[in-house]
Amino acid sequence: MSAFSIEVLLALLGLAIVLAAAFLPAVSQRTLAWTGIAGSVVALLLLCGASHAESSLPAFVAPYYSLDTLSLFYKAFALVITALVLWLIAESDSTLSNYSADGKLGELVGLPLIVCTGMMWMASAKDLVTVFVSLELVTVAFYVLVAYTRKSALSLEAGVKYLILGAAATGVLVFGAAWVYGATGSLSFEGIAKGVQNAAVNKSVLLFGIAFLLAGLGFKVAAAPFHMWVPDVYQGAPTPVTAFLSVGSKASGFIVLTRVIDALLANGSRVTSEVTNLLLISAAITVLLGSLPAIFQTSVKRLLAYSSISHAGFLLLALASRSSARFDITSGGVVAFYLATYLPMTVLAFFVLCVLRRQGIGDSLDELKGLGRRSPLLALLLTIAMASLAGLPLTAGFLGKMLVFVAAVDHGYWGVIGCAVIGAAAGFYYYFKVILAIYTSEGTTEEPVTVSIASKAIATALAAIILILGLYPRPLQKVLAAPAAASVALGK
Amino acid sequence: MITLNHYLFVSGALFALGLAGVVVRRNILVIYMCLEMMLSSANLALVAFSRFHLTDGLPDYSAQALVFFTITVAAAEVAVGLAIIVAVYRAKNSIDVESVTKMQG
Repeated sequence: MSAFSIEVLLALLGLAIVLAAAFLPAVSQRTLAWTGIAGSVVALLLLCGASHAESSLPAFVAPYYSLDTLSLFYKAFALVITALVLWLIAESDSTLSNYSADGKLGELVGLPLIVCTGMMWMASAKDLVTVFVSLELVTVAFYVLVAYTRKSALSLEAGVKYLILGAAATGVLVFGAAWVYGATGSLSFEGIAKGVQNAAVNKSVLLFGIAFLLAGLGFKVAAAPFHMWVPDVYQGAPTPVTAFLSVGSKASGFIVLTRVIDALLANGSRVTSEVTNLLLISAAITVLLGSLPAIFQTSVKRLLAYSSISHAGFLLLALASRSSARFDITSGGVVAFYLATYLPMTVLAFFVLCVLRRQGIGDSLDELKGLGRRSPLLALLLTIAMASLAGLPLTAGFLGKMLVFVAAVDHGYWGVIGCAVIGAAAGFYYYFKVILAIYTSEGTTEEPVTVSIASKAIATALAAIILILGLYPRPLQKVLAAPAAASVALGK
Repeated sequence: MITLNHYLFVSGALFALGLAGVVVRRNILVIYMCLEMMLSSANLALVAFSRFHLTDGLPDYSAQALVFFTITVAAAEVAVGLAIIVAVYRAKNSIDVESVTKMQG
């Protein structure tokens, strides 16, 4: 069985769940959600056992589909985050169905699997056509997910904002792709990498296209100055969907960005300095525009939105710092490592918000007060997640940030490093503000918060992963070390 | 004689008009039409580049394949987009962008 057929089966499962939700009212929402979770876990196991040779692919997809370490990593990443998001949806089904149009969760359970198919497909994309189609599969499904709880005014508003800005970004992306094609005469990454080395290619046409292409992708990963949609959409969307946007959508944006940047900065590229400068400037303002407004937020969900912008800045800095001699990971590998550490801590934070929401506790900092006594376990989990997001040593978040900083120092990007240090310092302030609120003594109520045993186990496992990765990251680094060889082959 | 530059000029003008419309107009439906115009301008540029990029006397069809995908995806996007706009109209009795500005800062 090839990786490609797993994606097809996953999409079919997603469709089956949507249909079952519509035509089999006897099946409960939770059953459907757990079917989806089981489906993605089985798909993950199949992916591990599947043949990783490109020769196993059917002939009609082989020219458009790559199966290197990085694409397999992002495929597994997509499956893991999908399963976790479905778990969050099952966890908060009562709150969500209050706000959906028909009191049910049908598409909210089925669509994440289709999004997952898009993200897995995107990880293997070899050309801009595949990137465009899979990116749109993800984005269009997200329009529905964000606006799904449409009885809530905020969700509807978030849906409209995401729709308009997302569609504008798509337009910009295709326009950029057209001009890059016009300059290089190819839509495949390989052809573009050859084109940027070719002295006969018109450089201004090429740069014009690259600017639009990067702007369109910048929107998808929430890079400044295209990040304005993030706080509103993250705050308004249903909490599980916010977690999905924050981890899944960002990761799939970054795999595409990694491929595009790898092609544009191939050895002997004539646009190296321009593209690197664009990335660095964007990284600096993204970190600052993410971290500084976060200080003033009173809603934890909105705070996490700004934090997600600031993390995108760190990831862009990692992309700009091309392979460093100091370790065996390329910039693409550093990005993947950072995202792998970002997944458990973000999901954990959103899990706590989901559980609290079910108990009628909102997401403002004031309402978190006294959580330390109402549920010591949840308080501890949220503390670990926040400490790791801030980048406290001994947590996974610290190692991710450290890799980025070391690679940037090797290249001497001091101005951007300065901005990143300011951003990280601001991070310590606002993440610890949340921890302080949890353990503050004044709370309006002492009523304990209840969590099911299964959820406790999964959430504790996520916290354990954060700590284990923080102490012993070697296995993950080894997995990601291999892409170095792949990227070297591409020309770096 | 119509050259590549003529097509690119029209495509650029369409794109600029679309983008300006998205920024300036207040009616969500009109904004949506402007978004479609941006996609069409990209399609025009793609077809023009493909037509003038001859290999062995034939146009390079990979860009024209992207055009078909763009048209299909745009249709899917419209289906979802209009559904959301209808939901907004039902909830607010208006499709002005001012009716969806509750979240700020």
